[in-house]
Amino acid sequence: MPPLSQRKWAFLMCVAGCIVPAAAVLDAEGRSRFIAIVGKALSDRPRSIQRQFGLFLGLMRWLALPRFGAPFDRLSPANQDVMLRWLLDAPLAKLRGGFWGLRALAFMGYSGQTEVWPSLRYTPSFNGNELLYG
Amino acid sequence: MVERSFDVVIVGSGAGGGTVAKELAPLCREGVRIAVLEWGPKLKEEEFTGREAEMAEKLYFDNGGFLTRDRAMTLAFACAYGGSTVVYTGTSLPLPEEVLSRWGVPGLEHADLQRRSEKYLTENNVHLLDEDRINDNNRLFLEACRKLGYRVEQFPVNVKGCRGSGLCNLGCPNAAKQGTHRVQLPAAEAAGVEVITNCKVERIGGRECVVTVTNPPFGEPSLWPQGRYRIRTRAIVVAAGAVNSPALLLRSRLPVRLPALGRYFTAHPALILVGEHDRPITNFYGHPKSYYCDHFVESAKFLLETCMYFPFTTAKNLIGFGAEHAEMMARMDRMQMILVLAVDPALAENRVTVDSAGEPVVYYRFTDEVLDALVESQRVAARIFFAAGCRRVHAPAGTGFFIGADEAHRLEELINREAFKLGKVSISSAHLMGGCRMGTDPATSVTDAWGQVHGVPWLFVADASLFPMCSEINPYITIMALADRVAERVRMRLPELPAA
Ligand SMILES: Cc1cc2nc3c(=O)[nH]c(=O)nc-3n(C[C@H](O)[C@H](O)[C@H](O)COP(=O)(O)OP(=O)(O)OC[C@H]3O[C@@H](n4cnc5c(N)ncnc54)[C@H](O)[C@@H]3O)c2cc1C
Repeated sequence: MPPLSQRKWAFLMCVAGCIVPAAAVLDAEGRSRFIAIVGKALSDRPRSIQRQFGLFLGLMRWLALPRFGAPFDRLSPANQDVMLRWLLDAPLAKLRGGFWGLRALAFMGYSGQTEVWPSLRYTPSFNGNELLYG
Repeated sequence: MVERSFDVVIVGSGAGGGTVAKELAPLCREGVRIAVLEWGPKLKEEEFTGREAEMAEKLYFDNGGFLTRDRAMTLAFACAYGGSTVVYTGTSLPLPEEVLSRWGVPGLEHADLQRRSEKYLTENNVHLLDEDRINDNNRLFLEACRKLGYRVEQFPVNVKGCRGSGLCNLGCPNAAKQGTHRVQLPAAEAAGVEVITNCKVERIGGRECVVTVTNPPFGEPSLWPQGRYRIRTRAIVVAAGAVNSPALLLRSRLPVRLPALGRYFTAHPALILVGEHDRPITNFYGHPKSYYCDHFVESAKFLLETCMYFPFTTAKNLIGFGAEHAEMMARMDRMQMILVLAVDPALAENRVTVDSAGEPVVYYRFTDEVLDALVESQRVAARIFFAAGCRRVHAPAGTGFFIGADEAHRLEELINREAFKLGKVSISSAHLMGGCRMGTDPATSVTDAWGQVHGVPWLFVADASLFPMCSEINPYITIMALADRVAERVRMRLPELPAA
């Protein structure tokens, strides 16, 4: 599961579960599909971006400390939500951008799985016209 | 390094490159050797699966999310036999006369561009879909615009045997969309043009280029064995798209200084907006893009189009996360979608550069005017959604995640600039233009009105990078019309150019 360390993957899965609640309750297969999709997307990016992403995950974990006295993954769900909402609207564009990238990967890992599409009521067909009017 | 030689080398096989290839192809009968060098693969028919993550990876640069330097916008452009025409939606509009006069390129006349555009409208089977092929997502947009008194038009589209998969932007799985991969490239190949896929042109120097052929683990293998090649040629036509053409020229050793190279990049920055109905509608069945509203182009500098995207793209474009986001995403069958595109100015500072490895880096500054247009467009889209019967809408500049129908009278207050922060919102672009703009002055342009690079008689550009300003409408027909002109000029000039 390159290009993140085991610990960073665990952290990413924790944040992903806050972003996409259904990602928190994926079964083992869903989880490995998530990791495969995100891992592939990350490894296709230049090394510098991969490094920055790893750093952002680390920063995110510890940003919670001054405000809540614990790293992000030890916070209550309510405080995790507060933290993420702060990042979404963070005063620094770089922080907002980092969080945007993280959100995008979480959405990709989850909704990139065709297996979850029926739960989104997304059921495309190559013959869509036949289904247009009843 | 293996050596090869041709008379004409075309870099890129998209809207521009594919057109030039087909236009020059008759020369093959006279013994002229022509090659198209395309970085991307030619997928096998069965590889068009309609699966979002998989197709994005196989067909797009950076999975369709190439980031601008400040990461405020993602750019979507394809890397494939057929370029971005493999993934475009196929809406086909010629350039309006008033836009061409704003372009103000001496020697580029409307009648000429119109004549050439019409040729491609015919060649690509462009027509209006019958009413029974229009899904609810499109019909509701049309009805709401009419109700509100907004000018709305049907998009002509270039499909043949469309079965309404709605998967155009993942590469049509039914081979219905008439991109250059279906029309111009096969015709060119049949006439003797060699199309070399999986072939990245690294740089141009003198009348030659250095390329690398590497087969990815999918698609047809390249016609040439893997490896590096030096290709000598009499003329080079660069049609690698508005990001990669300037990047290629910037990392090449050219005999002239081109101060405008890479500059005046425009992108029609776009937002995907979503409204939710209280019952399922047909949206992902049928052609996704049948109508547009250009009512606000002059007054407020934005255009609205119907659209329907896939789960990941949709999820990414909704601002926020957690329960409310999941609630909306769980009802994709109730979603109505609108794409808004801002008409952005051509600024010298908005530009493509290259990093130390020669890879493109795009600098893009959003002007206040563009940001205002993007915010106002969300209010207009919300009015359309509510007029169409949506129970609530989501706006990236909304003060909350949802705006309910009972709040429709407060849109000015509920959608505002303060909530619209760069880096937070998902702004994307699929219309990349400029960077090698046409003109007469070498200080502010890169090519003449026929796509010839100033001061370099053997070097031409034939793609969206030629646009001196944005097109204010969907650009591909204009790109083909311009490429058609470039091909005519290459044909005329070729006898004067020395052998390779
Ligand atoms: C999702 C999407 C939907 C769209 N929908 C529409 C629509 O409905 N209507 C419309 O008018 N327009 C649409 N567009 C825009 C339209 O597709 C593009 O404007 C058009 O295809 C650009 O043509 P081009 O020749 O400039 O570049 P492209 O078509 O992108 O072709 C450039 C080609 O050059 C190749 N290349 C790049 N660098 C190199 C290199 N160094 N060596 C070799 N090859 C290289 C690339 O792989 C690519 O194949 C859409 C675009 C996208 C992405």
